[in-house]
Amino acid sequence: MVPMENYLVLSGILFSLGVYGVLARRNAVLVLMSVELMLNAVSLNFVAFAAYLDPDKATGIIFAVFVIAVAAAEVGLALAIVIRLFRNRSTANVDEAATMRW
Amino acid sequence: MTTEVLWWMFAIAIVAVSAGVVFSRTVIHSAIFLILSLAGVGAMYLFLTVSFIALVQFLIYGGAVTVLILLALMLTRMGVAGKPEPTTGVQAPFGALVALGLMFTLIGVAVSTAWPGDLGGSLPGVTIETIGNEMFNNYGAPFIITAALLLVAFIGAIVIARQEDGD
Repeated sequence: MVPMENYLVLSGILFSLGVYGVLARRNAVLVLMSVELMLNAVSLNFVAFAAYLDPDKATGIIFAVFVIAVAAAEVGLALAIVIRLFRNRSTANVDEAATMRW
Repeated sequence: MTTEVLWWMFAIAIVAVSAGVVFSRTVIHSAIFLILSLAGVGAMYLFLTVSFIALVQFLIYGGAVTVLILLALMLTRMGVAGKPEPTTGVQAPFGALVALGLMFTLIGVAVSTAWPGDLGGSLPGVTIETIGNEMFNNYGAPFIITAALLLVAFIGAIVIARQEDGD
């Protein structure tokens, strides 16, 4: 059987890749995809903890369900904002959308 | 033994495609790598014997979220299709520094901590009954609030993305 630390290390690597994507990417949709990577790493962590440490109450799995639901809401709303930004500014580059008004 | 070999194959594949998401120079390739990465994490849930979350992962992430992202990519396409463009800003080296530091911290903590109550050996498995009982007995209010949140978020998304007459 695979020890729990393996899942934690994998999740840590995924989360760090997501952090790099959020910080370095310029396209807003790519930033959003990196956020999805981070959310995935977090739910993997939750589920690993629940399966190894707490299989009777499954609290971490409940958390993962809520994380997935909120991530779905977040991605829908964020993509709507990206599409609106692109329509108003003809760009999806987060560096060029630096002002809060126009 | 077979499980472990399979696990390592999946883990290496997930890290590789996730790196593809972050480092790929064409946005469509990033989106396809993202689909593979999400599916791989779903397979990880199967390794953890939590088939319910794996199902949810495949349905919601593998289906709905990736379709939304592909749609947004098509609607916000700037250059010629498939043409590589500079996708990282001047801040990329600092981002890499932060991410590397975070990665080593997370791995260090995960490896060096003695987790209490670690079952170590074979997993007992979490059934859908357990999840359902916990969810509706102890987390009923958050469940309803999440439902309202989803509704409000998607109505908001429609309102924001709607084509207005003046545009």
